Parts: sequence; structure tokens; C-alpha cells
Amino acid sequence: MKRLIIRQLIVDERNELFDAQGMRCAEFPSDFSRVREFTSQVLETCPEPFREGRLLEQQLSEIIKNGIKHGNRNDPSKKLRVWYDLRKRARFIVEDEGEGFTLLDEWNEFFRRRQTALFEEDFDAFLALASYRGPRSDEEDGGNSLIAALEYWNGGMIFNDRKNKIGVVRWFAHGS
Amino acid sequence: MECTFVAPGEDGFEGAILEGDCDLYSAPAFAKAALSRIASGAKRLRLDLSRVEYLDSSGVGALIRILQEARRRGCELRFVGVGGSPRKVLKMTNVLNLMHEENRP
Repeated sequence: MKRLIIRQLIVDERNELFDAQGMRCAEFPSDFSRVREFTSQVLETCPEPFREGRLLEQQLSEIIKNGIKHGNRNDPSKKLRVWYDLRKRARFIVEDEGEGFTLLDEWNEFFRRRQTALFEEDFDAFLALASYRGPRSDEEDGGNSLIAALEYWNGGMIFNDRKNKIGVVRWFAHGS
Repeated sequence: MECTFVAPGEDGFEGAILEGDCDLYSAPAFAKAALSRIASGAKRLRLDLSRVEYLDSSGVGALIRILQEARRRGCELRFVGVGGSPRKVLKMTNVLNLMHEENRP
């Protein structure tokens, strides 16, 4: 029997994913045109097996983009901080200086409806719900980065109470 | 990323060949170009992604908008060459289910 399992974005300030002890840290200006450049800098010493083609680069780039674009709203006076640890697994903490992801509960509800339509094989409803639109979204926003992230970060993806900081980890089958 | 449109062949499908990274910088222009082809009456469109090695959520968003518009206007969309990391991203976002693929790997 098929079962519907819907993941959710979770808030947990005290989660161990926010323990930055022993992690390296980089600070970046809120420059949207340099999102991929910042991602490459963080991953400069990344073990090859962790990259999985371009998948890790893409997933980290989404978090950095979200922090700069949605968190700091491209405000050049605001910084983005990235803590990273690429020993045995890929672990990151990314913090922006914005007001936080205030629509987290709404996004969880959108995702629940989207995955329900998919489960029920209602492809018209699914396609209509395929992208998330918040009040500040533009045409290029679709919430797709969070949808893939929920699956990709298999060791957890947690927001702090203010929702301006995210901790993520991905484990790999063979480690390094 | 470059997107080249090719005139319809014998099967009536117009081609769109993508080459390079379909990312937050290039996806908006790609979406605009493909949506414009559909709006101007293309009834059969084949998107070739075999030369795309990198696809991010903006690229996925562009493909969703193209799928939505094609369905709305009755344009038959087909995809070829969806592999590597782009395939994994499309699978994780459940969008691969909606894509009619030729020569599925």
C-alpha cells in the first residue's frame, strides 16, 4: 500500500546542527551577481566524492542565494556568514541579517498540498501548485530550492527561531 | 547558457537546444525565449538538455513555467538528454514526472 510521507521545514534553535565548533567560517557581501562565485570559494577544498557531479554545488548555491536575495534582500550593507565542515560529511550553517523566513508555516502548507496532489496523481493540480508564490516572490522564485533541499540534506535541515539561519548536513554512503 | 531554436523537422517538432549552465542568471532569459515560442503558436517543441550539466531551482522554475504554458496553449512538449545532476534535481522536485521524455535513460 502506498503511503504519503510529507517532510516539513523545522524550527529548532537548540539543534546540534547549529553547533559551529570546529567549523570554518566565511563572510560574504550581499551581492547577487556573485552567488556562484561564493559557493565555489566555500567548496574549494571539498572532497570530490561529496560533489556528486554538480549537485552539492547546486544545493549550497541555493542556500547562499536565498540568504542574499530573500534574507538580506540584496542590501549591500548586510553580510552573509557561512560555516562549513567537509570532513566525513558536508555540513553548513548559513546566517543572513534579514528578518527571517516568516512564511515558513505557509510554505509547509503549500508543500503539503503539492505533495498530496502528486500522491493522488492529480497532475493538473500538481502543475498548478508546482511553484510557491509568496507576497515578495518574483517570476524566478518557485520554492523549488526548498523542495529539493528537503530531500538532498539527508542528515537534517533546521531553521533557528528567528528563521534567518539554517543548518544542513548531507551524509554520503562511503564517507571520505 | 545558450538556447538555440531549430526550425521544425519532418515530425513537426521545433527544437530548442540548451548549452551551458541553466542557473539563476541564465534561466530567466531561457524561460522568456521558450515562452515566446509557445505564445507565438509553436504546437510541438522538443527541448534538448543533453549539453546542460548544471540546473538549479531557477532552471527548474523556468521548466515549470514552460510546462504550464504549454499545457495551457495545447503545445506538445518533449524532452531529450536529461541526465546527470539536472536529472537528479528534477527528480527531487518531482518535476521529472511531468516531463514527456524521448529516449529516457
